[in-house]
Amino acid sequence: MEIGLPETEREIEITPLEEPVPATAPIEQPVEEPVEA
Amino acid sequence: MTELSTEPILGWRLWHVRLHGDEYRLESFTWHHVSWPPMRRFEAGCALHRDSAPVGDHECGIYAFRTRELAEDLLRRYTGIRQRYGREYHELPPVRHGRPIALGSVSLWGRILVREKGFRAQYAYPYELHLIGGDDGIARELRGRYAVDVSRD
Repeated sequence: MEIGLPETEREIEITPLEEPVPATAPIEQPVEEPVEA
Repeated sequence: MTELSTEPILGWRLWHVRLHGDEYRLESFTWHHVSWPPMRRFEAGCALHRDSAPVGDHECGIYAFRTRELAEDLLRRYTGIRQRYGREYHELPPVRHGRPIALGSVSLWGRILVREKGFRAQYAYPYELHLIGGDDGIARELRGRYAVDVSRD
């Protein structure tokens, strides 16, 4: 992946309060059929 | 001087979606057979620097682009479809049958080296995926395995 020239590189350190790794799968929302009045 | 933060960066990247045994996994786009583990962070490694990756003056680390457009552009170059009927191709290009690809956002944290178009990171986990060339079954499998939202064409 071409992310740019190495000369432009700067360093950051990110220590999240909680790691962004999910514990459970997202819930699939059921698609509701429209109901005629 | 190193900047410090607590907020993960969201980058964009591509993955191959390949069978490992009998289950579909996200696999590195440029390193064959390097699969991303479900439900735990993917850690950068380097033959030279081991778990010190990413290191300056080297190319190790987990790569991601700054924008979705840059990831889409890589996909167009990969498929060889940049134009259609003489015009710039703006839609996502089709991929080879049976070779699904995931385009998505990815959380990056740890030590990160920032360049103008993207990042080399120490740790990463997919944030949201868009499946190209796969079916509902593969999308459902990835959603369950990696616990992230997966949309598809």
